[in-house]
Amino acid sequence: MNKGDGGWSPYLAGGLSGLVGVMSVWLAGQFFGASTSFVRTAGMIEQWFSPERVGQLEYFIRVVPRIDWQWMFVIGIVLGSLVSAWTSGSFRWQSVPDMWRERFGHTPVKRAIFAFTGGVVAMFGARLADG
Amino acid sequence: MNILIYGLITGFLFGFLLQKGRVLRYDKQLGALRLMDMTIVKFMLSSVIVGMVGVYLLQDLGVAKLSVKSLMLGPIIIGGLLFGLGWGLLGYCPGTSMGALGEGRWDALWGILGMIVGGGLFAEAYPWLRSTVYTWGDYGRLTLPEMLGVNHWLIIPVFIVGAILLFRWFERKGL
Repeated sequence: MNKGDGGWSPYLAGGLSGLVGVMSVWLAGQFFGASTSFVRTAGMIEQWFSPERVGQLEYFIRVVPRIDWQWMFVIGIVLGSLVSAWTSGSFRWQSVPDMWRERFGHTPVKRAIFAFTGGVVAMFGARLADG
Repeated sequence: MNILIYGLITGFLFGFLLQKGRVLRYDKQLGALRLMDMTIVKFMLSSVIVGMVGVYLLQDLGVAKLSVKSLMLGPIIIGGLLFGLGWGLLGYCPGTSMGALGEGRWDALWGILGMIVGGGLFAEAYPWLRSTVYTWGDYGRLTLPEMLGVNHWLIIPVFIVGAILLFRWFERKGL
């Protein structure tokens, strides 16, 4: 359901993204992923406060809190999306998504609480399943 | 250093395509979870098809190795249920939350902060999880072709035909 806002077919954009993934495996030996970078970021923030404790946590011994390929990949997603949105005029500052507004009205605080809580639960699940 | 630049460029291209495919938005993600709009499923499956063919080709040519994760029923089922619950509340997954921020949908920022906290909590819980959930139903690294004992080039076309039939059905239903 293209609303004629300059978006591409999801089949085309998805297929091309698969091609980018294949090139990444070929040239850099790296598979796409994002969730580990959130754990690394948590570790990097915790390191400012208590580096000894982070150094002893089993998970941070396996997954060292540092900037790696995937961390840069995740930053790249923000920039790529920004450029695509900006150049196609689809960039929009929004604190409450349209569907949320239709159902719950303009309630940015409620949205923030649900988004934050959802983020905590989703990331715990994603890491548990090694996704 | 080089590998970090590769990461940034690859992420840039992926983020660009995610935005072009219009799959970053809360409305699209909730649309998929509410079975109203299959844009995201179309994007993901198209990406999987190309990736599957490409990566297996690279493997057969000896220039890449598959990265197969262990089939651990306990962590996958429990983690998957938690992920689904959180995804439904947040409306973005880890990668798309970053892309949504790039589009100006800054409610994603709350989700990103939540995910960093969730990651920290996971690291705390990890020793306990390892002695419990991670021991439940661990079958090691398996692939579908290995389990069925057939060549992967037999499975890949079946998967592609299945995806195309699904796409046709989506288009007929206007999903």
